[in-house]
Formats: sequence, C-alpha cells, structure tokens
Amino acid sequence: MSNRFLALGIVLIAAGMFSAPARARQGGAQSWQPTPVYDKKGENSAPAPTRDISGVWVPAQGAQAGIQANGAAAMPSDGKPEHELPYTPLGRQTLQQHKPVGGVTKVSARLSNDPVPGCDPQGFPRVVLDNFRASRIIQTPDRVVILYDENNKWRMIWMDGRKLPDLKDNPEPAFWGYSVGKWTDDHTFVVESNGFDETSWLDHAGRPHSDALHVTEEYKRTDQDHLVLTVTIDDPKMYTKPWVALKLPLRLQAPGFTLEERQCSMAEYNKFEGTAVPRTNRPAAPPPAQQ
Amino acid sequence: MSNRFLALGIVLSAAWLFSSPARAQQAKPPIGEVTVPRQPGAVYDRDLKGKTPTAAPRRDLSGTWGCAAGGGNPCGGIVEGKQVGEGNMAPPDGVPYTPLGRQTFQSHKTTGAVVVAETNDPICWSGGRDPQGFPRILFHNFRSSVILQTPENVVILYEFGQISRTIWTDGRKLPEHPEPTWWGYSVGKWVDDYTFVVETNGLSGQPWLDNPGRPQSDALHVTEEYKRTDGDHIMMTVTVDDPKMYTKPWQGLQRSLILQAPNFTIPENECSPSITTQYNSFVANPGGVEANNKK
Repeated sequence: MSNRFLALGIVLIAAGMFSAPARARQGGAQSWQPTPVYDKKGENSAPAPTRDISGVWVPAQGAQAGIQANGAAAMPSDGKPEHELPYTPLGRQTLQQHKPVGGVTKVSARLSNDPVPGCDPQGFPRVVLDNFRASRIIQTPDRVVILYDENNKWRMIWMDGRKLPDLKDNPEPAFWGYSVGKWTDDHTFVVESNGFDETSWLDHAGRPHSDALHVTEEYKRTDQDHLVLTVTIDDPKMYTKPWVALKLPLRLQAPGFTLEERQCSMAEYNKFEGTAVPRTNRPAAPPPAQQ
Repeated sequence: MSNRFLALGIVLSAAWLFSSPARAQQAKPPIGEVTVPRQPGAVYDRDLKGKTPTAAPRRDLSGTWGCAAGGGNPCGGIVEGKQVGEGNMAPPDGVPYTPLGRQTFQSHKTTGAVVVAETNDPICWSGGRDPQGFPRILFHNFRSSVILQTPENVVILYEFGQISRTIWTDGRKLPEHPEPTWWGYSVGKWVDDYTFVVETNGLSGQPWLDNPGRPQSDALHVTEEYKRTDGDHIMMTVTVDDPKMYTKPWQGLQRSLILQAPNFTIPENECSPSITTQYNSFVANPGGVEANNKK
C-alpha cells in the first residue's frame, strides 16, 4: 500500500512540475478574469514566428511599465534636461495652455483642462502613451486591427497598397488618424499615421500635437513571447525634430485573455476620484462670447 | 470657434477617403429617394438588382458590412417583401413594460421629445459624457461594421464611437455573477453552418436601451442572431430579455446587412463631449428654444 501511495504521490508531483509552466504561459486562458503573464528571470523563449504580431500583448515588465502618469515613457515630463522636448515656440506656447494632472506642469484635478477625464476621445497616439495595459492585434491579408482595452477602441492599419492622405488635401481630421503599415523584414512591422484631430493631447503630461503630426510605430517581434513597440513623434509645428516617445517591450498572453473593460463615464469618474472633484454628466457650457 | 464647429461637423459626418468610387458599377437610387454621399467601396442592394445571389459561405460572417437598403440613416428597407428596420422597433402589441420599466421609461427625456437643453439622455451625442453601451450601439446609428473571425472569438468593430466588441467562441460560459459593464460579456456559437447566435449578459443597467429611452437593467440578457443568407447578406435579429423592465422578451431589431468591398473604410464617427457642448451651447440649444417659442 505504501508503494501505491508513493506512486500516486510521484504522479501528482510530476503533474504539478510539468503542467505548471504551461499554466503560467496560459495565464488564465478562457477566463473572464485573466491573470497577466509577465517576464520572469531566466526564462527562454522560442524563436520569433515570421510576419506575425497577432495576439494579446501586455507590458512585459508588469502593468507599471505601461502607466505613463508623467507623459510618454521614453521622454517623461520630469524636469531632467535629457527629457526636455525640442519644442517650437508654438509648441511651448500650446504646452503652457494645457493644464495636465501629470508631469512638471501638473495642476490639481479641479484646475485641469485635460479633455480625457471628461470623456473626450483619447485618440492616437495618446492611447499608447498614457495608460497602456493590454491590447489585441488581429491580422488579416489586407489589414492589421488593433483593439485597445481603454474605452474599447479600435484602429485599422491598412496594408492594401493605399497611401496616407496628403495633408494638402485637407483630410477629415480624425482622433485615431489614418494608418498604413508594411513589413520591412520578416519580424518588423512599421506603421505610419497622419491626419490627426488637433484637439487631443499627445500624453498625460499635456504635450501638444497639431494637425501636422506624423506618427511612426515599429512593432518588432523579437521572439515567440515578445514584441517591442517603438513610437516616434514627428510634428514640425510643435517640435523642431522627431523624438522617440515610447520603447515598450510587450509580452504575449494566452489567446483566451480577456481585455478588461475600462470605460470613461461620469459615474466611473466620480467613483474613481471620490467626491473630491464630482462632475455632472453634462460638461459645463462655455461662457458667452464677448461682444 | 468656427474651427470647432467644423471639427464637430466633420466627426459627425461620413468621410470621403482615398480613391473615387467606381461609378460604372453603381445603380442610381430611385427617383425621389434622399441620397447620401456614396463612400468608396460602398455596395447597396440596388447595385445587385438582377444578379443571381451567390451561395452563402459556411460559418463565415467576416467582412465589412453596411446597410443593405442604402446609405445613411435609417438603416432599413424592404427585404424579400418584408419591412426590416432600424432600432426603435416595437412589437405589434407594444413594448411589454413592467411597472418599473414604464416608470423608468417615463423618466427618460429623449432628444426626440424635448429640446437638447432639457434632455437627460446620457450619451455624448445628446450632450452627455457616457458611452452608448450595449445593446444601444445596435439600436442607434448602426451604420457600417467589420466582423473579424479568429480561432477563439468573433470581433465586431462598430463605426459609431469607434467601439469594438469581442464575442468568445472558445467554449466559455457566460459569467454567473459578473462585474457589471457597459458592453457586457458575450459568447457565441454556430447553431448551424449559416447561423451564429450570440448571448450577452453582465450589463450594468446604466445606459438607455435605445434612442426613445426604453430602459434596461442589470438583468438584461440580449440574444443576437446573425444568419448568412447568401454570399452578400447577413440578416441580423436582436432580442431583448429583461425581466425587471419587460414582462417578456421582445424583438428590438431585424436588419439586413450587405457585404461591402474590401477597400471600404469605416469613417471615423467619434463624439467629443467638449465639442458637442460648444455646439449645443451656441447652435442646438438656442435653436431648440427658438423652435419651442414658435410652437
């Protein structure tokens, strides 16, 4: 009898040893409450698949890595000289008009004019430069679709040969822009975007952008489990030269990973902020024009 | 100020994008019908008149879908001799309210009944800050959409509000005690090779069900049926079941969708509360008051 218990114990222990890594990689598949999988020391990953960035991706180092309270993670608004952005005079003037709740120019929530807490669309690229948690990438032959958990938004990146609109043709300004993408090699997907609505902010620190903004994203699949997202900002009206706003390693999650709903609404805002700055569902009307 | 109004007009209207339409393939609208600008890649039922329908592919809803009857709003029309319509439909014997349902409905002041300044419709397009939520996104300004199929889910991208929904097909069940959400928890399955049925629960009850202000509660359960009727069409049917607000389930929508060309680009239709507030303050509210004064 003791041999049977020993055999059973061995089987159970072996099952635990060999299935635990699979469970860790699955990270809560088929669950409405997913458990993200982040990088651990000493792990090895299989080689990168060819021309494949599909799946659910979260910041590889943990959720904190995607939370950019002081602005774009590669150039936070922290007062350090190496993080000073190359503003044009208009860029600096526009920055000073913005009253963010993050970065060195931050104010209290009550004094802020950040449009996003009032549920204006974040738009792109702020959706990846503000609070990047999880997103799903879906590939089809003629496009790549990216789903963002914040407010359930989507972006379409076209690969059907179309070109970006010429800004001289005055394309309809869009909070989410117009995007085209292509593979520059078997593991690197590059996206170009333009045509942005200038009323949105670039990030949580109130950095500005204009309708001349051009964004380049590089999605580099480095191995089976990792993708590195690099975002470059080029806006000649606001900045004298392009600058890298984000370089974020991402970690692949199980296919069944459910993006958590994070929806802006006044009920949600008041719940989060408490009663400190209660807001009504109706934004305040602007003052009458001066006669 | 004028730039803001222009921006508002732009985000509320369909966008002309990229290349010009292929006019040779398009049928003219019937005389007297109100026309809207045709989007590149748009296909309507009248373009297929006289052509033999192609066979429905099996277990395939993927593609970009528009309103079969024509562009713009309402998204309805006559399909096989039967009127199919936009949301806001009512059963032949009326919406079956419970007492709570009727009371809640009467507390909702829709923009169809009062001037904009007096509405309590919470969505951005009516001057509020809340999302439409589900299923109102189907019942209000449902225009073009993209359906994507992956091995583990079906994803639908909606034009209005740039919203995506994920419908899980990996065998999971609907949650029993879910955290309430605006967009719900959805699971779907093929009941035959051409019919995909979706069940949704876990809704918060905060949003309105539709534009007239029909209510919903956290007990709401929505069933959608997507029937691929031929190579170019899906018939979409939506049933509402909310025992707190309605005494029995009722059909809220039946709509024929038509497959668009692959290059059809969904125009951005975002709403910005701050821009809408300015528009309402300077245009809609004074206009509504003036119209009221003239009554």
